[in-house]
Parts: sequence; structure tokens; C-alpha cells
Amino acid sequence: MPIRYSLAIIFLFALNISVFAQNKFTLSGTIRDASSGETLIGATVRLTGSSSAATLTNAYGYFALTQAEGTYTLTISYTGYANQVKTIVLTKNLKINEELKAANDLAEVTVSGNNRRNENVKSAQMGLEKIDMQSLNSIPVLLGEKDVLKTIQLLPGVKSGGEGNTGFYVRGGAADQNLILLDEAVVYNSSHLLGFFSTFNADAIKDVSLYKGGMPAQYGGRLSSVLDVKMDDGNNKEFKFQGGIGLIASRLKAEGPIVKDKGSFMVSFRRTYIDLFLRASPDSSINGSTLNFYDINAKANYKIDDKNTIYISGYFGKDNIGVKDLFENNWGNVTTTFRLNHIFNSRLFSNTSLIYNNYNYTVQLLNDATNFKATSLVRDFNLKEDFQYFSNKHTLRFGLNVTQHRISPIDITTTQESQVNPLTQEKRYGLESAAYVSDEWAVTEKLNLLYGIRLAAFSLMGPGNFSTYDASGNVISTRNIASGKFYKNYLNLEPRFSVSYLFNEQNSVKASYNRNTQNIHILTNATSSSPTDQYVLSSNNIKPEIADQVALGYFKNLEENNYEFSGEIYYKWLQNQIDYKNAAQLLANSNVESELLYGVGRAYGLELFFKKKTGKLNGWIGYTLSRTERKFAELNNGNYFPSRQDRTHDVSVVGIYNMNKRWTFSSSFIYSTGNAVTFPAGKYTISGQTMYYYTQRNAGRMPYTMRLDLSATLEGKNKGKYQSSWTFGVYNALARKNPYSIEFINDPANPSKTVAEQTSLFGMIPSVTWNFKF
Amino acid sequence: MKQLIFILCIVVCFSSCKKIISIDTENAPPQIVIEAKINDRLIDQQIRITKTVGYTDASIYPTVSGATVSVSDSRGNNYVFRETAAGVYTNRMRGVYGVTYTMNVVAEGKTYTASSKMPNLVRMDSIGIISNTFFGNERKTTAAYLADPANETNFYRFTLNRNGINSNRIYVSNDRLTNGNKLRIQLYFNAEDDEDEDLLSGDKVAVEMEGIDSNVFDYWYALSSQSGRGPNQGTTPANPTSNISNDALGYFSVNTYQKITATVK
Repeated sequence: MPIRYSLAIIFLFALNISVFAQNKFTLSGTIRDASSGETLIGATVRLTGSSSAATLTNAYGYFALTQAEGTYTLTISYTGYANQVKTIVLTKNLKINEELKAANDLAEVTVSGNNRRNENVKSAQMGLEKIDMQSLNSIPVLLGEKDVLKTIQLLPGVKSGGEGNTGFYVRGGAADQNLILLDEAVVYNSSHLLGFFSTFNADAIKDVSLYKGGMPAQYGGRLSSVLDVKMDDGNNKEFKFQGGIGLIASRLKAEGPIVKDKGSFMVSFRRTYIDLFLRASPDSSINGSTLNFYDINAKANYKIDDKNTIYISGYFGKDNIGVKDLFENNWGNVTTTFRLNHIFNSRLFSNTSLIYNNYNYTVQLLNDATNFKATSLVRDFNLKEDFQYFSNKHTLRFGLNVTQHRISPIDITTTQESQVNPLTQEKRYGLESAAYVSDEWAVTEKLNLLYGIRLAAFSLMGPGNFSTYDASGNVISTRNIASGKFYKNYLNLEPRFSVSYLFNEQNSVKASYNRNTQNIHILTNATSSSPTDQYVLSSNNIKPEIADQVALGYFKNLEENNYEFSGEIYYKWLQNQIDYKNAAQLLANSNVESELLYGVGRAYGLELFFKKKTGKLNGWIGYTLSRTERKFAELNNGNYFPSRQDRTHDVSVVGIYNMNKRWTFSSSFIYSTGNAVTFPAGKYTISGQTMYYYTQRNAGRMPYTMRLDLSATLEGKNKGKYQSSWTFGVYNALARKNPYSIEFINDPANPSKTVAEQTSLFGMIPSVTWNFKF
Repeated sequence: MKQLIFILCIVVCFSSCKKIISIDTENAPPQIVIEAKINDRLIDQQIRITKTVGYTDASIYPTVSGATVSVSDSRGNNYVFRETAAGVYTNRMRGVYGVTYTMNVVAEGKTYTASSKMPNLVRMDSIGIISNTFFGNERKTTAAYLADPANETNFYRFTLNRNGINSNRIYVSNDRLTNGNKLRIQLYFNAEDDEDEDLLSGDKVAVEMEGIDSNVFDYWYALSSQSGRGPNQGTTPANPTSNISNDALGYFSVNTYQKITATVK
């Protein structure tokens, strides 16, 4: 039914562009890096002649441009690479495969003005942030572990989940409202070691895009953002190794051709070593303890012929924490993506993906009285079929996506002596399907449109017993649904629309509207995320979360696109948001849905971004002014209250200074208003203890956070193929005591008074990392 | 040397530190607080009525005198509580298992009511001292032993006292995951200030156990899940849902009561 609907829409779109003038030919091909053969994502391909046209390469480095018969100048440009300029005589459909040389591989490249692109001004896309992997490697981070998720927190509109934490909030959304994709597979828990590090090993990553708004129609399923991370394909020309040794972890990556210029592989491994020190201890209770995480990223691709390329990629990561004879806790993600790129004809590009991913955790208590082992699993099978059709003014994208979810909330097994009873909470099955179509349309030289629609269907399926509850959480009725039967269906239409209008090549205004819906939700009533956070599907009780966002922006480039400036304002309406009743018991509770409250939210803000892209000194300044609120009938007397992550001001400054060929210095500075928290307004006594009386929810503020991080990288003297570098870092160089939590205690000096005691997590922390490449 | 490496790792990674800060909060007007408990022994049962003070005030809580306090039960009995000390209302009586009691308080012109059902008696069999090893350190803790009945849902609350000082931790449990089993409930002592929390030989410990009803369990459970009772720890703090009407703080609990003492060897 949804499929028929979407086919009709696709047909309508196709009609719109199916009429082509005569004597037009298509230039298509793939753009790669000259030294590694890695495809370049988002490179600009421009044809100039009697008429001109430009496009960007897609996620697989592919492009197609259609123009009238004639002679053109082809210019291919990509940040950090020398331009490729060629003359093209278009008298028939042409295929080219071009390779660009990285600017730093060339002797003396004058980076000319037209090498920099004004894509940020021109494209209709709004709310998109691209992370440059080069600057990611320079930005200072905690303990020297470069991290994608910590770097995106330095961008306007993205707020950190807390000190040193990889959790993030985008434009007022919750942490579970981010769609985090690694080679198209959903990564449910992107954190290691309770959030201090992320699952993304920067060595293995090629491209990172974050959509804060204006999500294109091919993405769906989460309200707030899309973080699309793509792994390296691997060098298809020669074997390369790189790695590093840091305070926390060591890394090693190997890549090389399977068949030269036709296929390649990449394998990357990272592991921490704190527990190796533990193991050195003579004490058996210490050397039996574990504290580690590791990641493996692997990918291979093979070009079967000019029309077909296959890719297989996977991620496997795990955290282990344990104290001998007391407890063990481990968690991790597994993702596997199999893809086939097929070029039907030069204008029609398709990709088919088969994806498997899971997230699981185990908690085990080992003492005899309360011995138990609890396991939980979220598992998805996903099929995606995506088409891109390139015509001269339109890039049409359409496709289908079907995901089957299986959630095993908890399985508790125990020993005979244990006082805990075994328990298996019913599995939940859901089917998410979507059909989408979108069109990027260069209406005129000045007006660009990106519009589309996504039809999202969700079905909660049997087998299972599904209950409805009254207001006080008692079961009213329970229905048993047989295996494979649909129980509850939701259908949502998600319009997506963005427009840009160019005043000139350097100035534009953009506007966008988009609706997103979400059918898988995290339940956690703790104020910080934990590996045991529980996932639930939309159901008879939980309705799909819905977000509508409008945004307006002004984009300006200066000095031949070397400086970029943007200002965006947004307003977001959120429906069917989830919170919890007082004394909610979320874990191992079959009636967990009786513990939930439903409400609405709103978020609005202004984001300013100023960036210097090249030169000896580059970097950016970001500023966010924002407000995020929620409203639940049962909380705060039914009035709006600020979300915990509502921080009025957020400032980030990143500076990278390339002093000479050997030394690079960088720094990042952040300032943010404290979290919105609930402070007591009074106190009383119960059973001889001091209790606190609360009036307004989240009406108080934690103190502000301010931090300066520094790092310096020393490149080793160039010894031919072999390169090495040292990175020295200082986290929290001002040694400021930033707030982590606040506790209320009796004043030690005057016990009849109450005082607030703040705990800070990290003082000044130095780090050193050694990296190598050959 | 034993723990040095581990401690070093932890200290380097989490060189946390604490300091006293001032916060910006309003001082709320006084609210009524009722703590009413009736147990299964024939004693002077007490209902205390006090008021809240502002956050910045000294912790001296005003008592509420002159209230009309009575309790009735599902069998038609009525018990009048008389003010025997400022804000303390008492009546010599005994709660009966399985009977529902309703409290009625009229204080300062407002009426507050609540009901609570006395659960069936579950006996604490004994208490004991068990020792666990944490990173090579032996730590002694108190444990209560009891047999949970399989045919009903039970809720328990414990208090722990060491050498006359109450632990400031809240200990409540239900039998959702442990129904019908012999239970060993471990009670870790938590001192108000940073004094030594380990049990030492010769320490006198006392454990009180109450069988409580589900509303009273929810009250204490909400408080315990806000452990640390400050931002960024546990759940967002809120007033626990009281079983008393008219927005009074506190609770009305009719519960079983048992106390066992022991000396740490």
C-alpha cells in the first residue's frame, strides 16, 4: 500500500523531467584521489562553454552532467586538491575517470581562488555540517584520542552531552533523536567507556556529514539529526600502513589493493590498554579486573565491470568492564553492510544495500546471593534501494527502505543459589518501511530547490502480548497477537523542502521546512546515558515522535571563498515526546509502557558560524543562542520547562596554525551556559533526614562551562615513504573546575545550613600520541 | 604497591574535585509535611506535622500545633490522636495485618487524608555481617535475611544504624525479580559526612525492617532513585508522590516493624 503510493509520486516526479531537448549528451564518471584511489565525495565537477553546469560527486564519487552538444572546459575541484582542467568535446555520451592530486603532495601549488568552492552558498541544502578529516586530526581532545563526535560538538547547534562526553544534542533534540550511520548501518550506542570516547576510530573514516535540519528525503527515522559517517575504501594502488600509540589506546590500519585499480581493502583496529596495567598487578583481585574497549573496522570493494561495483564493510566494537568476583559488564555494536553500485546508464545510478546491525549488552553480578546474568539485544535487518537520476537541471533521488527490528529487552538467567528469579521479557518486533523521492532542481542560475517527500510506515508486529493501561498504570486489557501478524500501524508523510536564492556568487539566503518521525525510542530516566539504556518501539501506547522544523539562513563568502559566514535561525515543534512517572522502574519491567508520560516540546535558536578555510591560520568561531523546552501535563504543573540540555549560550573557537612544514599548533575554546537543573526551593525533615522540596522543574542553572584545550603536532623529518609525528596535548589548559554534578550537603562549618557542593571531573590533563605511516 | 597502578589510572583519568558553590534558587513559602506511621506493635503511634523552611534557612523545622488528627480502619474503629508534644500527635494502638487505615488531619484550616494497608507479616530471620573484597580491600557490610512469600507482592524498607548513627542511604526493595526466594539484602552504610564508612570489629549495628504497601514503596523508591539528590545524579529530582491528599509532603504508612541488633566480630 505505501509502495503503490510512493510509486505514484515517483511517477509524477519523473513526468516533470522526462522531457528532454534533442542533442544533449551526458558526461559521467568517477573522481578519485590520485595516490590512494579513494573516491572523492562531494567534489565539484563543472562544465563551462556555451552554457554551463555543475554538479557534485555522490557518496561513491560518481557524477553525471547533461549538456547540449559542444565544446566545454571541464573543471574538477575538491578542497585540499589541485584543480583538474580539461577540454571536453561533447558529441556523444562520454565516460571519464579522473584522479585529483592532493595539494600537499605537490611541490608548489598556489591555491587559487577558483579552487575554493562556494557550494555552501549555492546549494539549497541547509543545516549541513561537513567535518574536514584534516582539521579533525589537529583539534585537541581529551587524552589525545581524536574523535568525530567531540569535534562535531564544536559546531553551532550541536551541544555536548557533558564534560568529555561523546553524547550530543542537536537543535534541542534528545540524545536518542540522532540517526548515527556508519556505512549506512545504524549505530545504536556510539559511545565507549561510559561516553568518554566514541565508536568512530578516526583512522578508518573518510567522510562525516551532519544534518541539523533540512534532511534530504533519503534519511529518516530520527527527529533531530543525521550523522552520516563513511569508512575509507582502502588504497587500490599500493599497500599502506598507519597507526599510533596514545595514552589511552593504540591504533593500526592496513590497506591495499585486492586487484590494482579494481578493488581494495582496509582494516583498522584500535584497543585501549588500561587493563594491561591492571594485569601486571600481583594482586589477584586487581589483575582479574577488566577495563577495555576495542574497535575493528573493515571494508573491501571490487569493481566487477564499468557498471557494477560491490562493497562490503563491517564494524565490530566492544567494551568490557569487570571486577573479579563482583560484576562484569560488556556492550558493543556490530554492523555489516553489503552494497552493490549499479550504473543502469550514465544518468541513472543505483545502490542496493543489505545491512545487518545489532547492539547488545550483558550485565553480570557474580556474588552468590544475587548472582544473575542479564542480556539485552536490539537487532535490525535493513534493505535499501536507492536511485539517483541526473539530468541537466535536476538530480532526482528515489528509493525504498525496509527495516525489520527485533528487540529483546532483557533476559535474566540465574544460578540455583541466587535469590534472583530468571526472567525473559517478551521480544518486540517492528517493521519500518519507507519510500521517498526528492529532486534537487537548479531552477535558474540563482534559484535552487531541494524538495521531496518521504512516506514512513511503521508496524508493530506479533508475536506478543500488548497491554493498555489506565492513568495510574494498571493494566486495562491485554491482547495476544500471533507471530507475523500486524498489531499497530502508523503511517506518516514527511515533506522536506529547501530553497536557496543567490544574490550573487558570494551571497545567498536559504529557507527550509522538514518533518521527521521516529519509531524507536530510548527509555532512560537517568540524566546521563548508560550502556543499559533500553529501546522500545512505537506501540499502542507510544505514538511516533514527530518533529517539524523551519529554518532560515543567510550565507556569505568573502575573499574568494576563503572565509565563510552563515547565520541560521530555526524553530522546531516536537510531538509525542516521552518522559517518566515519579518512581518509574524501567529495567526488566514488562509493563514499562505504564511508566511513561507523553508531552510536547519546542526548540528555537540562532546559529552563527564564521570559518576561515585555508591559509597558515585557519579555523572557526561558532555561536549558538537557543532555547529548548518540554511540556507534560503531569510535570511542572503542566507548564513548559527547559530541557536539561537547554543552554542559552554556546561559543566555540577553533584555531589551527600551520607554523611550518613540521609544526602545527591548534587550540579549541568553549564556553557554554550551564545545564538547566532542578534546585531545591525548600527543605524538610523525614525520619531524621533532610529532604528537599522542589517547586519548578529545571528552573535552576549549573555554573557555566569554559575550557581551553591545546595541542601541538610535530611532523618527523621526511624519510621517504616513512612518516611519523608526535602530538602533544593539554586538555583544560586553564585548569578550570567545570561543573559535572552538584550535591546538597550540610554546611561543614554550620551544619544547620545547606550548601551546594560541585564535583568537577577533569583537571588539566596532558597527553602525548605518536603516529606513523608507511 | 598493590593498588597503586589501578588508583593511578583512575586518578589520572578522573582527577575529580569538589568545591562549595553558591546557587541561585527561590525560597518557597512553607508547606505542610506529615509523617505518619502506624506499626504492628502496641505502642504510642506517632503522627508528626511540621513545615518546610527555605533552602537558605537554618534546618530548624517549625512544628504545627492544634491540628485535629484521627485514624479510622476498615473494620469501623476510630482512633483519635492527641498532641503530646509540639507537632507530635500520638495514640496507643496496634495496626492489624490486612486492614486498611485512613488518616484524617485538619491543620491550619485544610484537610489532608490518606490511606494505607497493613501488609501481612514477613519476618526478618536474622542479620549478619558479610565481607566483600573490593580491589584487594576487605569490606564488611550488614545484611538482612528473610524469606519472601511467593503468593503475594511484597515491599520492604530497611534502616541501618551503626553505633547510634543512622545511615543516610534509603534502602527499599520489592520482590519483582526475587519473588518467593530466601533473600539476603545487603545494606551498605553511608555516613552523612566523609567519615569512615567501613564496619569495624566491635561496632554495634541495628537493622529495622518494615513491610510497607506499594504507595509507600513508590515514595521511598522515588527518593532513592534521586540518590545524591542533586543535579546530574540519578533522575531529575522531584517531590516524591505522596499518598496524602491536598499537596501535603510526607506519607502515611501502616507497616510491620521488626528490629535486630548485632555486634561486628
